[in-house]
Amino acid sequence: MAPERSPLLEVEDLTIAFGDGAPVLDGLNFALNRNEIVGLVGETGAGKSILTRAIIDLLPKGGAITAGDIRVEGQSVGKLPEARKRALRGGEVALIGTNAKLLLDPVATVGSQVGRVLKAHRPASRTEIRSRVIDVFRQVGIVNPEARYEAFPHELSGGMAQRVVIAMALIAEPKLILADDATLGLDATIQAQVLDLLVSKGRELGLGVLLITHDLGIISHYCDRVGIIQGGRLIELKPVDQFLDKPETEYSRLLLDAAKVRPAPRDQSGDDAPAASIQPLLDVKELRKTFVVDGGQAVVRAVDGISFRLCKGETLALVGESGSGKTTAGQCLLKLLQADSGSVMFDGTEILGLREHEFRRMRRRLQVVFQEPYVALNPRWQVVDLISEPLALTGQRGGAERAAEVTRLIDLVHLPRRVAGLYPHQLTAGEQKRVGIARALATGPDFVVFDEPTTALDIRVRAQIIDLVRELQARMGLSALFITHDLNSVRSLAHNVAVMRHGKIVEHGETEQIFARPKEAYTRMLLAAELPIEANRSGKAPKTELEFVR
Amino acid sequence: MKAFFENVRRHFGLAAGIGFSLLAIQIIAIALAPYIAPYSPIDADPLSSLQPPSVAHWFGTDVSGMDILSRVIYATRINLLISVSSVIAAFIVGVPVGLLIGYYRNIFSNLIMRVFDFIQSFPVFVLGMALVSVLGQEVWNVAIVLGVLFIPMFARLIRAEVLSLRERPFISAARCSGASDLSIMFRHILPNALTPVIVQVSISIGMAILLTAGLSFIGAGVRMPTPEWGLMVGNGAQQMILGVWWVALFPGLAIVFSVLCFALLGDFAQAVTDPNAETIS
Repeated sequence: MAPERSPLLEVEDLTIAFGDGAPVLDGLNFALNRNEIVGLVGETGAGKSILTRAIIDLLPKGGAITAGDIRVEGQSVGKLPEARKRALRGGEVALIGTNAKLLLDPVATVGSQVGRVLKAHRPASRTEIRSRVIDVFRQVGIVNPEARYEAFPHELSGGMAQRVVIAMALIAEPKLILADDATLGLDATIQAQVLDLLVSKGRELGLGVLLITHDLGIISHYCDRVGIIQGGRLIELKPVDQFLDKPETEYSRLLLDAAKVRPAPRDQSGDDAPAASIQPLLDVKELRKTFVVDGGQAVVRAVDGISFRLCKGETLALVGESGSGKTTAGQCLLKLLQADSGSVMFDGTEILGLREHEFRRMRRRLQVVFQEPYVALNPRWQVVDLISEPLALTGQRGGAERAAEVTRLIDLVHLPRRVAGLYPHQLTAGEQKRVGIARALATGPDFVVFDEPTTALDIRVRAQIIDLVRELQARMGLSALFITHDLNSVRSLAHNVAVMRHGKIVEHGETEQIFARPKEAYTRMLLAAELPIEANRSGKAPKTELEFVR
Repeated sequence: MKAFFENVRRHFGLAAGIGFSLLAIQIIAIALAPYIAPYSPIDADPLSSLQPPSVAHWFGTDVSGMDILSRVIYATRINLLISVSSVIAAFIVGVPVGLLIGYYRNIFSNLIMRVFDFIQSFPVFVLGMALVSVLGQEVWNVAIVLGVLFIPMFARLIRAEVLSLRERPFISAARCSGASDLSIMFRHILPNALTPVIVQVSISIGMAILLTAGLSFIGAGVRMPTPEWGLMVGNGAQQMILGVWWVALFPGLAIVFSVLCFALLGDFAQAVTDPNAETIS
């Protein structure tokens, strides 16, 4: 076929534009060899995903390659006849996308879906296909593959669904794998497992892997070379070690700085205050919340008797994987969910028993910043209305007074004043997050719940939000509950950490102590799954420590 | 707002053009009926009964000798009055009811839903006939009956939207900001739930025109000599077998174009208010 010397994937002067607009990808040049893992990093909108679509010649409507070429094994993809293109997609080049649960067909069993891919590329008898699929399922670490073969996507967890998608990518034995943010939204522990698997499979079979991400931790742990994409241009491409030691461009330096773990320069003077005050601001005892699922068939103990105290000015982080009940616990504290039993004393008042209209007067003092910035803002309201809504709680009725307060809040979260007249969809994710924070702070609360304050944000934006929260903590003396699975951010923001698993707090203590000397195996596993970029490069080996906890 | 007009411009095609032209024709017929209709719509002239279309009577005359063109023009008033007012009434009642029973899930809201099931499980015509014959065959009674029939439709539509919207995080966010139930319902949920209902309004007007005409056709709607399309078709139907086609044809065409008009406008409203076209990610 192709000459032996040509690299697996060549991208030459690639320029892609939509209509007559500015190019989304501008003169991209790089090559990917067999048995090599190249990471591509860029922020939202940098054009990373468009690149993967271009490689399999499935650009979204309106997009076109205006210059340059993409060659797989020396053959120009765009010039292939349609039948060869179909053979290429999934057969030689496999794409793994974000959010596996949405990528799978909800009405077909996962086994048959993976089988279809094989059938399209390597025709075989039904029993052969079945045994091959089960074989690959086993290889990607799916427990009990025979049973899973018959499962429907909704019966799988996010991590399991992601494994199915990886199996789907591997089944036709492709030569090149494109992983487009394949682990976005998965828990850190699952992310590590999935990536370990993908990378070890790639190495074992000598595949080329293009790993697209916005997490530099993933790059430093798994990739051979790294490319930085900014505004559609590849501004830097070099081996990972060299990149981490000596980034060339200003932008790369910014990204690296933002991704580094912040070594907790917390205001030490405030640290003594929590211990001094005798009565805690928030005292939670034996809080329980259960959900009935499957039409009364099963009971899920989302929060199973947790207790903790929070003093004035103190920040507690509630850490755990998805499904550990941490968000449910936060919602019970705010009475967005009615807890089953237990006690929540806020500043000497028992709030669990209060009725909604009685509690509304207290809402001013307990606020929340929601997880997903966009969906927590009414899409039909302008920012100025969104921020001024909570001001009604403080009883400020005057229009001028409110307008001044809104401006003050917009300044407080470092937003430009022009955003006041915009709608949520016109803002970036970072700006939406800031509006959410401004709303929560509008009433001058004593206690704020931050639900996953940094997930789904680009590296730099994440760092900016952490800086903002830290600044607000210092300036306003907030007591806060951080609900998160992002241990890096916790380290620089929280005084104490409580680790949750299956609705229970399994470990609770001072932040530095937990990081330095975790007692529980589960905590150690959470810590091991983090991928800080400074970690030594021996971390490239699959994390065997994860296995024994499962 | 600018984006809205941009969106309107982008979706304005042939279909929308026809829809708006038909609407304009109907509005002219309603506003200027006395000036453009050549004869009075209710003056019978037994001497010129069942005249075929001619220069004097463009659409011909019916069995009592009334000018069909004039009656078709005047009937626009009655037909649209009944249809539009009944739909607006159903909208005004149905939307808040749907909002309430979607937001508060209790025995009371269940009860209302079962009442709606009851209303909707009757054949529309049978129920319409029964109600109109009880209330009396007056224009307003027909409008009231249609309004009642349409209330469950709007209420269900809004309720379905509310059921999904009330679980959205921004509603929790509003509650944390101290919004009361009323404020959450009317300021947060309603503006987000209204889109499909606006589309439904236009489509419902078309349905109401058909129902009005249908009720009159079978004799359960308005009575002679009120000019009404369905009634006119009904009168003409008796003469069809005698080869007198014009009495039923022209009011029939009026019904077709009027319903088509609101269906096209509904499609246009759908395209313009489509949330997928609206969001800029």
